Amino acid sequence: MRFISTILLTTILAAISASFLPWWIIAVAAFVVALLLPQKMGKAFLSGFLGIFIFWLSCSLYADIANQHILSGRMAQLFHLPGYGLFLIVAAAVGGIVGGFAAWGGAALRQ
Amino acid sequence: MRALIPVLITVALVYLLDRPIGSLPALGKLLDPVKGWAANAEPAGKDFSGNIVLPSLHAPVSVWYDEYMVPHIHAANEHDAYYVQGYIHAYFRLWQMDLQTRAAGGRVSEVIGEKALDFDRKQRRKGMVYGAERSLEVIEQDPRTKEMLDAYTAGVNEYIDKLEYRDYPLEYKLMDFAPEEWTNLKTSLLMKYMADDLTGYTEDIELSLLRDMLPPETFAMLYPGRDYSSTPVIPEGTHFDQALYKQAEVPAGDLWAHLTATDFEPAKESNEGKGSNNWAVSGVHTQSGAPILCDDPHLGLNLPSLWYQVQLQTPTMNVYGVSLPGAPGIVIGFNDSISWGFTNNYRDVKDFYAIDPAPGNKDAYLFDGKAVPYKERIERIAVKGKPIFIDTVNYTIHGPVMYDAHFKGPGGLKKPIALCWMGHKASNEMLALYMVNHAWNYMEFTDAIIHFQCPAQNMVYADCAGNIAMWGQGQFIDKWKDQGRYVMEGRDSSTLWGQPIPPQENPHALNPAQGFVSSANQTVTDSTYPYWYNGYFYQLRAWRLNELLSKVSNATVQDMMAIQQDVHSYLAEHTLPIMLRYVQANDKHIEELKKWDYNLNAESTVATVYQLWWYYLYKDMWKDMLAKDPVPLAPLPERTMELMIQSDSAIQYHLQPSLGKLAAVINMSYKEAQDSLSKLEKTNSLQWYKAKNTTIKHLAKLPAFSYEERKIGGWGNVLNAAKGDHGPSWRMVVQMTQGIEAYGIYPGGQSGNPGSKYYATFIDDWTNGKYHRLNFLKNSSQKDSSIKYTWTIQNK
Repeated sequence: MRFISTILLTTILAAISASFLPWWIIAVAAFVVALLLPQKMGKAFLSGFLGIFIFWLSCSLYADIANQHILSGRMAQLFHLPGYGLFLIVAAAVGGIVGGFAAWGGAALRQ
Repeated sequence: MRALIPVLITVALVYLLDRPIGSLPALGKLLDPVKGWAANAEPAGKDFSGNIVLPSLHAPVSVWYDEYMVPHIHAANEHDAYYVQGYIHAYFRLWQMDLQTRAAGGRVSEVIGEKALDFDRKQRRKGMVYGAERSLEVIEQDPRTKEMLDAYTAGVNEYIDKLEYRDYPLEYKLMDFAPEEWTNLKTSLLMKYMADDLTGYTEDIELSLLRDMLPPETFAMLYPGRDYSSTPVIPEGTHFDQALYKQAEVPAGDLWAHLTATDFEPAKESNEGKGSNNWAVSGVHTQSGAPILCDDPHLGLNLPSLWYQVQLQTPTMNVYGVSLPGAPGIVIGFNDSISWGFTNNYRDVKDFYAIDPAPGNKDAYLFDGKAVPYKERIERIAVKGKPIFIDTVNYTIHGPVMYDAHFKGPGGLKKPIALCWMGHKASNEMLALYMVNHAWNYMEFTDAIIHFQCPAQNMVYADCAGNIAMWGQGQFIDKWKDQGRYVMEGRDSSTLWGQPIPPQENPHALNPAQGFVSSANQTVTDSTYPYWYNGYFYQLRAWRLNELLSKVSNATVQDMMAIQQDVHSYLAEHTLPIMLRYVQANDKHIEELKKWDYNLNAESTVATVYQLWWYYLYKDMWKDMLAKDPVPLAPLPERTMELMIQSDSAIQYHLQPSLGKLAAVINMSYKEAQDSLSKLEKTNSLQWYKAKNTTIKHLAKLPAFSYEERKIGGWGNVLNAAKGDHGPSWRMVVQMTQGIEAYGIYPGGQSGNPGSKYYATFIDDWTNGKYHRLNFLKNSSQKDSSIKYTWTIQNK
């Protein structure tokens, strides 16, 4: 339960702050959530990763569906990826990794 | 303590993702879906309508967008029309405007780093900024262009000022730089960019070597300049008035710089001309009884496109056509009464002078026996990630020393060479366009174009009163024979440019007896024109075009479109029979060539066979003669063709003792072509459109944002001039009936955003030879179903 709530809290906190702060606020969001809600470090990494991954993926999907995949298709080509779906996943994973390490740091500090 | 490692990793990740590394952009910023790439993913169903407040406007303005996203700007005064045009250009094309003016002024290194430094230096040393500054002075002295440009610049900046990172065009995020303030100078630079694109080509250095290398009669035969069987732009027999000046006399003394192989260091650079077609057919030959005007300037095929369609309406102007993002007004188009179009004129307005440094004084050069100090111009070039590069450019009485030991010329030329170019002169082409946009009749048109000095253009004209006309318009110099054709000695005042030719004496024809006017970059006049000139003229398209136009009667706009789409190769028609006569091979390709109709159709495989064979034949033909030339320049293909036809001694004179040698070259080149042909066959790319690969390339050369291998026929030497990266950049056909019936298309889209549905809207129709009916609204028009979106712009 705590695992799911940390993921959701990370997603929400990152989404609110990212609209007016630089992109790396996702790291701060994941870090703070992990600091407040104690978890094992492995779980903290995973929840940080998933929290940001979900945020980035849903946010880009929202734009991408309205855009009919015009730009995600071109971005995929730009990064030599076979399709727009993979581009969206890889991009979200980049954010996820930042969130994961930040959450790990927060959890480790808490212990 | 255990927290240290993940925290450090996080900080390092954020640090690395927040900045570009090598050729990778700042990935964190780019991939962030809130402000990064996804902010540029424009909803396909976006409603562009809206209310905008632009406080600097004098009155409210409304902008109607039609289904092609062409804006129709209705303003109560000219200031507001140009202000909103600037705002809209920036809204749809900002990055392109930024990059093109950076390229014009040699400021690309600032955003992409050291790899552009040589390019930037060349732009500075060519005097691009110098010329743009001089022209801006006269632009700002004329109250009309001052108001026009100030309003335009303010409109661009109004848009830029409100931008945040998330609103930046995607390419800024990819290349990691930011929009900067627009200035009037940037617009002036853009005009010089066009001048350089169209008059920058020269053969002075190449011809200087050839003239010294070849016997005079051979040189004259192989490189005749303009003097051969052209069907000129201004029809033969056109009467030219008594010239104000006498043809300048060739001065005495040694006028020419003699270049030798030791003046060069091995290097290689290639240059290629640009061509275009335009014509107007008189109402006598059209079905409607009204003239039809056609234009298709062949320029670089890029995304975002060079052109942006727009209609400007004020109480004193109603004009539609294509504009250059970065400049106010319409460049090619029509209004209620007249239409006009351009092809490049190609008379030579760019000359080189060899400079003799003063002995023992590196800050001076010799001129008329005296040591004259250079005027120094310091060019400061910002380089991303490196200190500022400072280049001191020496200006002489002729112009800037473009090449020297510190910045070598073509072929590695080390000798100091100064450049004298019409683009350095202060001129106000913007005023010409402003006045043409407002012109109601032929008189007003001719008054307007006088201000168009560089790049010289063949300007075709038609009006609703039934007139057609053609002007070879630009500022030219009364030159003595051969002046500026070769590198001149710069140490003597006798080689200086002389009097400017009065513009009303530029060659022109109004309603000629033949019932049409046409140009396709060929020689401008017959030999009766009273002034001497040289240039870089092409004949093949012109021969074909005039052949077709002379047969036209009862013409419709569809007939005119068919001529723009014509892919018949005049070169093939006249060379292939000779090639087939001497070739010994007798394979399936030869069989196909025998039956071929000389059309370079998209899917034709036999077209590819001919084109490759000709490519090798042409190369082999002149290979021996040019073997030791550091800057080899072969005689033109049309000249080669003529010599082949004549089968006279010319070709053999230098290369081949007999026609047997021509046969040998024909056979050798056919064998050479087999290699390439079998490679193409293996990859299933023998079809002509695959082999030539016409590509609409993104300005940053990103394949992901480009359109490759368009299924289009043609080539640079046929009317539908779609080459690899150049081609018909704006096809326009205008029938001058009341209300104007106009069609047009360019290979691009109105939006510069690769994430927009409107990024490449026109490319398929352009490729397939389709046109769009242009939605030219009357001044009193009511909004109808053709209007999709509306901007209501208030000034408070």
